[in-house]
Amino acid sequence: MKRLLGVALGVLTAIGGFLDIGDLVTNAVVGSRFGLNLAWVVVVGVVGICLFAQMSGRVAAVSGRATFEIIRERLGPRTAGANLVASFLINLLTLTAEVGGIALALQLASSVEPRLWIPVAGLAVWLVIWRAKFSILENVTGLLGLTLVVFAVALFLLGPDWSELADQALSPTVPGDEGHAVYWYYAIALFGAAMTPYEVFFFSSGAREEKWTVKDLSQSRLNVLVGFPLGGILSVAIAACAAVVFLPASVEVSSLSQIVLPVALAGGKLALAVVIVGIVAATFGAALETGLSSGYTLAQYLGWSWGKFRRPAQAARFHLTMIIALLVAVAVLMTSVDPIKVTEFSVVFSAVALPLTYLPILLVANDPEYMGKHVNGRVTNALALVYLVVILAASLAAIPLMIATGAGS
Amino acid sequence: MILSDLLDAPVRAASGDLLGYVVDVRLVLDGPLDGGILVTPRVHGLLVSPRTGTSFLGYERTDVRSPALLARWLRWRHRGTFLVRWSDVAAVGGDVTLAQDYRRWSPTFPETVHQHPTT
Repeated sequence: MKRLLGVALGVLTAIGGFLDIGDLVTNAVVGSRFGLNLAWVVVVGVVGICLFAQMSGRVAAVSGRATFEIIRERLGPRTAGANLVASFLINLLTLTAEVGGIALALQLASSVEPRLWIPVAGLAVWLVIWRAKFSILENVTGLLGLTLVVFAVALFLLGPDWSELADQALSPTVPGDEGHAVYWYYAIALFGAAMTPYEVFFFSSGAREEKWTVKDLSQSRLNVLVGFPLGGILSVAIAACAAVVFLPASVEVSSLSQIVLPVALAGGKLALAVVIVGIVAATFGAALETGLSSGYTLAQYLGWSWGKFRRPAQAARFHLTMIIALLVAVAVLMTSVDPIKVTEFSVVFSAVALPLTYLPILLVANDPEYMGKHVNGRVTNALALVYLVVILAASLAAIPLMIATGAGS
Repeated sequence: MILSDLLDAPVRAASGDLLGYVVDVRLVLDGPLDGGILVTPRVHGLLVSPRTGTSFLGYERTDVRSPALLARWLRWRHRGTFLVRWSDVAAVGGDVTLAQDYRRWSPTFPETVHQHPTT
């Protein structure tokens, strides 16, 4: 019974933890402009993150090493250092977007100007990182994030033309008023939103925090392989809601209030309250994960002691890194930059940085020196090579497409 | 001399012919205890790749062939990679010059050296 509960908890937190501000914003924007014509990208992204999380979780559990220790060992200090700078900055950008997302969600609930909420959100994230136990912070935000299921409920209540939605999803075309370059730009953004590097830093370092061993592999695989696809279905529901409400009116989503409008239209005030709780939980959870990831990456590269399982005094530089990262995120947001715009850039740059972490993990997952008999099987490797090509193509195309399309405008 | 002086350095035979580039330095921990705590690493040899100074990403150490395409590509880029013992190195300036009768060794580890996780 206890085991069953453990599995259920793991799966549920994986669903809630899958969604963050990047998924919310990108899916809603894409839904409002392309309908479900890009839903296939969510499928590609979800399979990819399942593969990647499963590999990095296995590497962490079997070898006892976290991602950036391995990257440095495998690539050498110089290449790994360049890798660290890129990964750290993009993670910082994602952290900024998540903290901004918390503030925007709290603004929706309270009508209080987001700039008053930003320092509060930053402080709350820091307090939780400083004080709360790892398992609690992971489970509470994951479970509360599940309330985003209300997007799926809202879709049914809106009573859409299902055949049209299915038609868009199953035989995707580029809508007449959008160019091909913009279509592919948003395809990369959606891919980057589903496969963010911080998820992997957090997942593999979290495996060390929770002291996983080979015995925990089957449960972690189940969490990932069930939880992430269900999270992906919620992503598509967000896009479908936006498609139903905004696509016919040719309104492009550019604010959080628009993202939640379909839910409010379908379910009234109660549904709106539920969705706001879900967004606060999802962004707060992701802010914790990205905040921790900033400490994890730097500490692992430089060989500092790290981890929530140590008291802050024993991992002082790890905690100091997270404090500085949070202060930078708050400072950037206080310039009145639009968190939605920050999010849109963060998902695209996530796609750009993805090969930097994917390649070393793939190599080490094949190395019997680290993995013993738990090296990748043939099927995993075949899929992993296909994804290597996809990830490289997305990474190389992202910035040229961003310039060519004026960031999708 | 520090490690960076060696990495990427061109390697020449005694005659001056270019043999390749240093892609890695192999260290051995079998020396006396340094101050009674740590073993001082000893330079065992240099890994020389004939065509490129980029990393072999560890594939030179084992006979691992997966993931197939990546392994094949890396092995192809670094085909002909060999190990020279440090005792065969005659001089290190900007370039590394080898002794007249240097010998090429296989870069793979002997099978017994593999470390397997105990868990």
